[in-house]
Amino acid sequence: MEENKGYWNPAIAGVVLGIALFISFMIAGQGMGASGAFARFTAQLTYLWDSSFASSSYVVGYLKNGNALSNWTVLEVFGIFLGGYISAAFANRIRGGIDKGEGYSTLKRLGWAFLGGIIIAVATRLARGCTSGQALDGAATFSIGAWIFMLAAFGSGFFFARFFKKQWKGVN
Amino acid sequence: MNIETALYPLYTTGVLSSGENLLYAILIGIMFGFILERSGFGRSTHIAPIFYFRNLAVSQMMISAIITCATLLTGAVYLGLLDFNQIFVPTTYVWPYVVGGLLFGLGMVMSGWCPGTAVVGFSTGRLDAAVFLAGVMVGMSVYFDSFDSIAAFANSGNSGRLTFQNILGVDIYTALVITVIIGFGLAIFMNVMKSIRDKKGEDI
Repeated sequence: MEENKGYWNPAIAGVVLGIALFISFMIAGQGMGASGAFARFTAQLTYLWDSSFASSSYVVGYLKNGNALSNWTVLEVFGIFLGGYISAAFANRIRGGIDKGEGYSTLKRLGWAFLGGIIIAVATRLARGCTSGQALDGAATFSIGAWIFMLAAFGSGFFFARFFKKQWKGVN
Repeated sequence: MNIETALYPLYTTGVLSSGENLLYAILIGIMFGFILERSGFGRSTHIAPIFYFRNLAVSQMMISAIITCATLLTGAVYLGLLDFNQIFVPTTYVWPYVVGGLLFGLGMVMSGWCPGTAVVGFSTGRLDAAVFLAGVMVGMSVYFDSFDSIAAFANSGNSGRLTFQNILGVDIYTALVITVIIGFGLAIFMNVMKSIRDKKGEDI
């Protein structure tokens, strides 16, 4: 067994998460998501910068009313932020910092985080969602696409892991 | 099951107004964020080890959540409470999903984050999460700018609402059994890979 750190057992946490996901489907008819909110947030920021952006092909649906943020997933992601903060505050786990393997360069760690974010953003647009909105929601509703996405994502992660060993050295 | 009288999902059946639904969205998000943080997913160092078969928390939690939710949804359909056709199931685009998945895995082992967990990391003070999310926003604008040139690929392989029920002509109960079998199969695979790694005694 790994060091406990006071976290919930993953199998039991999964049951709790599954119940939360079920509640989401029963109320809203959709599951929890994350990446869509960042697509809309980015679209809104770009629109405020340059309003002609509203007619560009990908975001035209987002900016129909000139406000991409009045959307279920955007508010739900705001809730994720609050929920994460509340949980960490009660567990005394709020502290600034950067997580990485022993002795790894901070600058490189942040560089990989940034580049990884860019790649993941593109990935979520192609896959119409991420680990939550696509993988969890889709698989729980018997979608085959969700399993295609998950197998590709984890297969790719296992393959590319060899190039990032130093970044995660000693982590478990 | 009696679809005509199904009361759920509350929003799509008209029980909840659009405004009420958005209010519940915040509450549902709070639940989600709380659960992720409690399970350790506000730290990239709790996520990345999955790719080295060192800590199986990510796969254990995902498989457990999928099976739990799928079972509850099936139960709600059986009891006539839920109209499954009103549930949002993402449209499957086969090749974009494969390429999107491959990119996603690379981005995840590179950054240690995915979008939802990074929101939790950000809320608890992790700077690597904040930088990751800045990258996500840059990536989104890159995608918006280049969409016209990749739209044909992004919309290829459209298979509609591709579920086990549709492709195999089975009912939702069989689909649940298939999902449980896949889930347990993957859980066993991950445990075998972990025990091989443990025997070799390799650290990351």
